[in-house]
Amino acid sequence: MGVEPSEADLARRIAEGDGEAEAEVCRRMGPRIRIYGLRHLRSPSAADDLVQQVLLTLIEALRAGRLRDRDKLVRFALGTCRMTVLDLRRTVRRQERLLEEFGADLVPPPPAEPAIDHERLADCVRALKERERSVVVQTFYDEHSSAQVARALGISEANVRVIRHRAIRQLHACLEVP
Amino acid sequence: MTAPAGGTPERCAAPIDAVVLMDYWLGALPAPDEEAVEVHLLVCDVCGDRLRQAMALADSLRGLARSGTLRVVVSDAFVRHAVESGQRVREYAAMPGDVVQCTVSADDDYLVARLGADLTGATRVDLSFSTPQGAEIGRLADIPVNPDTGTVLYQESIAFAQASPDNSMIMRLLTVDADGGERLLGEYAFHHTRTIPGPAGW
Repeated sequence: MGVEPSEADLARRIAEGDGEAEAEVCRRMGPRIRIYGLRHLRSPSAADDLVQQVLLTLIEALRAGRLRDRDKLVRFALGTCRMTVLDLRRTVRRQERLLEEFGADLVPPPPAEPAIDHERLADCVRALKERERSVVVQTFYDEHSSAQVARALGISEANVRVIRHRAIRQLHACLEVP
Repeated sequence: MTAPAGGTPERCAAPIDAVVLMDYWLGALPAPDEEAVEVHLLVCDVCGDRLRQAMALADSLRGLARSGTLRVVVSDAFVRHAVESGQRVREYAAMPGDVVQCTVSADDDYLVARLGADLTGATRVDLSFSTPQGAEIGRLADIPVNPDTGTVLYQESIAFAQASPDNSMIMRLLTVDADGGERLLGEYAFHHTRTIPGPAGW
């Protein structure tokens, strides 16, 4: 396996007009930006839009030579993710013109989704203690917050968090997820 | 950006705890912790893959929670949300001493028993299941209860109920003290009549 080019190398090459370096940055950053999008937008298609828009902005900044080190690049990417999520929430299709022009070339295919053995998971959930099972069901049924679950079940918010954490650890152990 | 070429992440010197990743996915982290996770995820594909595992687990748990197949204590908010989402919830309410004639249909999504009881001062409450002859066949120990509501909402597995032949079951809510002593809070008899075609017995 070859040596991975550093971010500084990639940034320098992009500033010099190297298309392969741009593709490498997109390959690395695309899936990471997509995760951010899934977390904040809760929609695969909106996450894909985010990837396209953030990569456009990132490549533009790299071409201009404004991001020469790793910390700057990460902070710039995170800041752009935040701003773009706000934009996407306001007007999802606002940047269609840019996407039509560049979109298809920028977004790498998303990684394969991890597989969960549903029958085994059901057995693992059944093996939880009653409070853990109730908290898990209440939490994941509609992604309720600790405060909502606490109110619903008549236990403290801190207790909900402790119970949820314990349940998640047990489910990981039961499913043998690292 | 530490991932090697080819997209196969190798290692992370400081992996984010799985519980923290799940809290991140649930939006349950304080802002500074969330930012630290996001900065890390923008440079670490190992933890990105582990977050995808957490997302897949959360997705599967949501499916399981919505399947109606778990035996679990739920809440009014849960039932209300299910109804508002267009799900069919068959609910039977019982006060201590009640005898309830019940059934379930093929298009019910959830089956819930609303058990009324005075839960004031109860620190540990168990829900026990017995045959009409008094033999205990199961118990949910230390269930979450909200004394203010005066009810326990128990979700029976809809798959089990839909497959179940005619049968009778006694539910008991018991408060258990620190020495293991039990006090009956309420006893409820459920007589299930099968309305979905199927064998007469198990």
